[in-house]
Amino acid sequence: MGKLVQVATNTVSSPTASVTLTGIDSDDVYMVTIVGASPSSGSDEIRIRVTKDVAGTPTPQTTANYDWADKFLRASAAFINDYNTNQTSTRGTGNIDNALNGGNGIFYLYNFNNSSEYSFITIESVTYGFSEGRGYQGGTVYTVAEAHNGVYFFPSTGNIDSGTFTLYKVV
Amino acid sequence: MADDLKYGYKGAEPTQSFGNNTGVFDPNDINNLIANNQWTTFGQLELIETKDITVMTANIDFTDIKENIYNVHFITANDVTSNTTGRHMVKQFSTDGGSTFVSSGYQYAQQYGTGAGSFGETKSTSASFLGYWTASISPLSNQTAQAYSYFYNLGDSTKYSFTTFQSSAWYSTGPNYQMIFGSAVYPSANVVNAIRLKSDSTSSFTGQFSLYGIRYS
Repeated sequence: MGKLVQVATNTVSSPTASVTLTGIDSDDVYMVTIVGASPSSGSDEIRIRVTKDVAGTPTPQTTANYDWADKFLRASAAFINDYNTNQTSTRGTGNIDNALNGGNGIFYLYNFNNSSEYSFITIESVTYGFSEGRGYQGGTVYTVAEAHNGVYFFPSTGNIDSGTFTLYKVV
Repeated sequence: MADDLKYGYKGAEPTQSFGNNTGVFDPNDINNLIANNQWTTFGQLELIETKDITVMTANIDFTDIKENIYNVHFITANDVTSNTTGRHMVKQFSTDGGSTFVSSGYQYAQQYGTGAGSFGETKSTSASFLGYWTASISPLSNQTAQAYSYFYNLGDSTKYSFTTFQSSAWYSTGPNYQMIFGSAVYPSANVVNAIRLKSDSTSSFTGQFSLYGIRYS
């Protein structure tokens, strides 16, 4: 089993519109943990964009090039094949009811540093929303062959009120 | 190193912390800083405990999970065997250090698939355990299960505790291969300070079980 090296971390203690983790500068696999992420709006999800260095600034990429395929696991209803193509962001977690619960997950990042390949993410997240446990397991891709230096997390509306977001390199 | 020359400095010594160690260190300094969680060491998937269970055991309990240190835990299960036919391994939480384990109120949602082409979903909002961690296995040749699970927020008294998991096993029905992945929640804002691995019904298991913490998460 390899080792994890922390690259960046951000603990949200006051409402913020987004969290950016950067520092991807090698061809290693990277991993992100999210623990206790709570949006300000009662039923939001946490969404993801990749970031690119633009004149020294990590810039979330918003072009309609995100595809995903996830199994949406629900404790009290039939599961859903959740998928889409050519979106401007991708889904990281299911809905999160309130600050008591939080969104949590493990995300592995592949090919981010490779300017000639698409960037891929595997998703394994769990939340409590709309009075049920909810999970997302699957993956997503940003179909632009360019180097990306990090990831950008944001709620579908409003702010992120709390949570710890950490980027590791798997070595 | 003598106290009057701590870390190579005379007088005021630099503050030490993860990612910011300054000075000259002898082995005792390093050991002390590691003990105080002030020494920069990479390899932040940290082994807390391994249980190599070679005698059939009904309850495999991790009671020193260091939930005050780690926000994310990780458990692996390898080469798990059962002494009873058709038993799944499941997980439960304790909030009293392992004296008792919560046996109601869990929610889970999980997907399974078999090598014979059978796929389906399993779910509950009132379960006695955190989902079926592995396929059902029997005391037959080659019927073993392998699995991992992440845990979130166990030490946070203000949030629910969550887990995600995946497993790969030789399934007792068929028999054939079965995979499982899923997620579960203990919807109660409590500190979870012990984890039990057990059967969904009466059985005992052998196997290697390792608990890790992901530091600084």
